[in-house]
Amino acid sequence: MKEVMAVIRMNKINSTKKILAESGFPSVTCRKVNGRGKKKVNYELIEDLIGEEPIAEPEILESISENHRLVAKRLLTMIVDDKDYKKVVDIIIQENKTGNMGDGRIFVSTIDDAIRIRNNDTGVEAI
Amino acid sequence: MKMIRAIVRPEKVGYVLDELADAGYPAVTKIDVVGRGKQRGVKVGNIHYDEIPKELLMMVVQDETVEEVVSILAKSAKSTEGTFGDGKIFVSPIEEAYTISSGLAGL
Repeated sequence: MKEVMAVIRMNKINSTKKILAESGFPSVTCRKVNGRGKKKVNYELIEDLIGEEPIAEPEILESISENHRLVAKRLLTMIVDDKDYKKVVDIIIQENKTGNMGDGRIFVSTIDDAIRIRNNDTGVEAI
Repeated sequence: MKMIRAIVRPEKVGYVLDELADAGYPAVTKIDVVGRGKQRGVKVGNIHYDEIPKELLMMVVQDETVEEVVSILAKSAKSTEGTFGDGKIFVSPIEEAYTISSGLAGL
């Protein structure tokens, strides 16, 4: 089994959940987190933007925001079968890609076992 | 790649994040959590608290930088003398990472 953790934009959560459910992956855990990425501050860019256009697109504002500021994101966690995780990753990328910085990241790691609390099912049956 | 999850005191988060950014590791995700440790929470007078608020810092780094990041975390999250409740650091393997904006694999 694989654990797919995706950090995505807040406003993309509903459409992502919907398309995942339609594709046959309804089970998901999501929570609000704060995070920051690799980007560096470009003050000239900020000044130019503020000077010309006070209300910018959220994507642009995010990509020029200060380096140390944490941005609100959604963390999506799914446990899926080995053969399905590529599909899940592709769906998440397809739905969340805008091409701007701040679209998020996806991490994949291995889960050794899963147990359903209701009836002690283990392994793939439990997910 | 490795995922580093550090549970730190909420009041230390700002300092830890600054130290990480200064050392060249700005990418981090912060999650509010509550929990207890080996000391089973804290007892103040007659009241026993076992859901102590902490912050979970989650970051994914390349294998060769794990030690450096862990040492930065351990040093900056430690309270002056080092007491119970300073937190813990966990390291786990990550097999794949994708950047959504480009759709490419890798950090």
